[in-house]
Amino acid sequence: MIPCYTVQRNLACIQRTVGGVRWTSSCRPAPLLTASPVRALIDDKISIRGHFLPPRCPVTVCAQMQSDDGDLWEAFAHFNTNSDGTVNLTRDPSVGGSYLGCEPMGLLWGLQPAPGAREGLRQAEKKKVETPYVMLMSLLKGHVSPSERPSTELAAVTAERWYMAPGVRRIEIRQNGVVGTLFLPPGPGPFPAMLDLWGMGGGLVEYRSALFASRGYASFSLAYIGHKDLPGPQNLINVGDPYYKSAFQLLQDHPQVYPDRIGIIGLSFGVYLALRLASHSGIKPSCLICINGPAGSTIKLADADGRTEQTENDQKYWTYDDQGNVSFRAVSLPANLSPESKVKLEHLTCPLMYIVGEDDLSASSVENANLIEETLSAAGKSQLLTRLSYPGAGHLIEPPYTPNSRASLWSVKPQKLVTLWGGHLAPHAAAQEDSWKKILEFMETNLRH
Amino acid sequence: MSMKPLCVKLSVQPSRGLVDEKFTVLVQNLLPGFQLTVHALHQCEDGHSWEAFAHYTTDATGTVNVSQDPSLDGTYSGVEPMGLLWSLRPVPGSKSGLRMRKMNVQTPMVVTISVYQGHQMEGFLDRVSLASVVVERWYMAPGVRRVPITDGKLTATLFLPSGAGPFPGLLDLWGGGGKLVEYRAALLASHGIASMALDYLTPQITKETGKMVDNDYFETAYRVLEQHPQILGSRIAMLGLSFGTSVTLRMAVYSQDVKLSCAVCISGSHVQPIGGSVEQILAYFNRNADKTRFDENNQVIWRDLLLPIPTDPSLKVDMGRLQCPLLLVVGEDDQNWPAHECAMDMKEMMERAGNSHLLTVLSYKNAGHLIEPPFMPFARASTFKTVTNPPTKVMALWGGELVAHSRAQEDAWRKMLVFLRENLYGGMKHGASFSNL
Repeated sequence: MIPCYTVQRNLACIQRTVGGVRWTSSCRPAPLLTASPVRALIDDKISIRGHFLPPRCPVTVCAQMQSDDGDLWEAFAHFNTNSDGTVNLTRDPSVGGSYLGCEPMGLLWGLQPAPGAREGLRQAEKKKVETPYVMLMSLLKGHVSPSERPSTELAAVTAERWYMAPGVRRIEIRQNGVVGTLFLPPGPGPFPAMLDLWGMGGGLVEYRSALFASRGYASFSLAYIGHKDLPGPQNLINVGDPYYKSAFQLLQDHPQVYPDRIGIIGLSFGVYLALRLASHSGIKPSCLICINGPAGSTIKLADADGRTEQTENDQKYWTYDDQGNVSFRAVSLPANLSPESKVKLEHLTCPLMYIVGEDDLSASSVENANLIEETLSAAGKSQLLTRLSYPGAGHLIEPPYTPNSRASLWSVKPQKLVTLWGGHLAPHAAAQEDSWKKILEFMETNLRH
Repeated sequence: MSMKPLCVKLSVQPSRGLVDEKFTVLVQNLLPGFQLTVHALHQCEDGHSWEAFAHYTTDATGTVNVSQDPSLDGTYSGVEPMGLLWSLRPVPGSKSGLRMRKMNVQTPMVVTISVYQGHQMEGFLDRVSLASVVVERWYMAPGVRRVPITDGKLTATLFLPSGAGPFPGLLDLWGGGGKLVEYRAALLASHGIASMALDYLTPQITKETGKMVDNDYFETAYRVLEQHPQILGSRIAMLGLSFGTSVTLRMAVYSQDVKLSCAVCISGSHVQPIGGSVEQILAYFNRNADKTRFDENNQVIWRDLLLPIPTDPSLKVDMGRLQCPLLLVVGEDDQNWPAHECAMDMKEMMERAGNSHLLTVLSYKNAGHLIEPPFMPFARASTFKTVTNPPTKVMALWGGELVAHSRAQEDAWRKMLVFLRENLYGGMKHGASFSNL
């Protein structure tokens, strides 16, 4: 392999001494790395290309990103340039690194905590949705790993990835006891809307709502556990049916929302909440999207309104792997759900999309999907159900092109616990990409037409 | 089917782009044959509002794609993907003589794109749109660093591309209006060239001493670039517009210290007293001030001040001595400088001297003087404040026709980037060929 890079630099010096008159050689311009668009939304594809490289040469493309908490994430892929000296991640396969094969967005979903990072990190939990992720992409000589020093950097480009499109408005809601964040698209409206529910991790998870607003839907992330502005101890669900109903009505009453074009999306425990709200309380959403969650409560209910009394789901259903990591999967087996909390699915009247990660280690998604399918079928309502099932995908099926963690730190007290989410790298990434596209199409069909 | 109102979908991709990047405006979910107006609104830094609009009719799928469908009427017509930007004009009732120039390049230009029902001509701000999105247009790519420069008594700003480098360098000079204008240098850095915008008519040193700068000021600027640890000292170009061309040609040909890989001169001239200072060059132009003409709107035409092109060699830069590739960009309707005539004269000088293989001329019919980065709104005339003491404010006629000038900006910018890239990274045959463009 001729050191083409040094030849080019030497020629530059020779050219200089011959009085500034340039006599040509077969020198090529210096390598260039481009990313397009260079400021993109999280669910936009990015085209990453290297140009002006020697033909049939080994190169490494490397991506680095710093999370809001300061943790460094990295991915890299090995390529061989083609005969015209280019590398194009939309066309070329990676032959080594964080992923293999032709994966245009592999450097993004393949991001891992860099060596030396804190352990048990779960990424894609961007707390500040108003600022972008900043990604530094570099083109390195040869097939190297980023931590190998010294490596020759041939070119670099910085890209930004945003959850919020320009003009999207983020509004903190603390109204009628309801705690949440509303995202509104730019423009006069009115807009179709989504109520957005997450799992027992609690707090207020905003990024999916921000992305829905960037795609033209008003979206309301609702907190129900583990938030300082909610009543009662933070480790219990102290709000019940009236709370979720208020949240839905808040959307309906909003001057910029179509009151009869509101859907609900739930992940994990949020699935139960969405199903309960839709079949129980006189609320009529236009559609439901359920990801990897139970059709009944995994926690014993304290009252008829759905408040809970215990601090944790029943530990007798927890299982452990060889490393002492815990799987919550069995907790949500239909047989283990508290019977009085099982949602009366036969009362559903709107289209329902249920998304299953077949390698979900945190919830019994397959079994709950089966239960929902059987119940709707028995009620003559199977046409309402769209079931998406992804082999190799785990629990946290999130917006695309963000990395998945197979396991992450769940708690530090009373002892350090790492929980298993499941999901293998490439299939989980494919599931996120495909399901997101189908979610947006489902919303388009049910909320816009 | 229910009587729900139509839920029109408007999208612009990308919603955050560089100023020279194209976008796609898509309107969907309407009925076929629906008449609509797409409207762009921008409030610039000095508070003035600019708008553009175009009339479309949806196709059989209820869609309008601005990149593919023709505008039937408005501030532009026909198929014009970027017409909503380059045809922006001050809203009715605005002051006359406005020109849009972004001075703060660290924030984006924000444009609101909206869809209105029907084919509307006016009163947009009093109507409710069907939908509206916000688009950002950036001069700086992510990772580009803005570095104010005061070394050597310069008033300048250096823009470094993202990454470790080293990068080729470029000295960026604007024209007779003075001030430190950063946006073109920022954009060039976004394309991988470390670029320094230099204020040479109204710099701090001139404000303090009352004296205009001279050759050593430009040589200092060149040296700052050459010695910068992230800049390839042997790969430096110079770019000048209008009076900036006068400085660029003089440095390129006569300076012992400045060794350029290439030069780009836009809307300028080689006519100047050889060996004169910057101040003397300006004085030479002023001597012909009686040749100033006015059009029917009392707008100032200055192109005759340099005509006829002198035959006296002491009044023209000796182009036969140029040793680096040169790209000349001129508008044939330039009413401010006789740029096209000067380009032809320079070509002739170089042909006689035998170095015309270094020269490329891009000459655009019906383009005016201010050939700027693409998709920016066009000003056929605008208020211009001279840097003389005391300054005078006039309405200068730049020339050009909207569509031809906008096309020229787009074409010239693209070719200029290719020219710079080929010459700054070393290795093209003389007189960079555009056969692959």
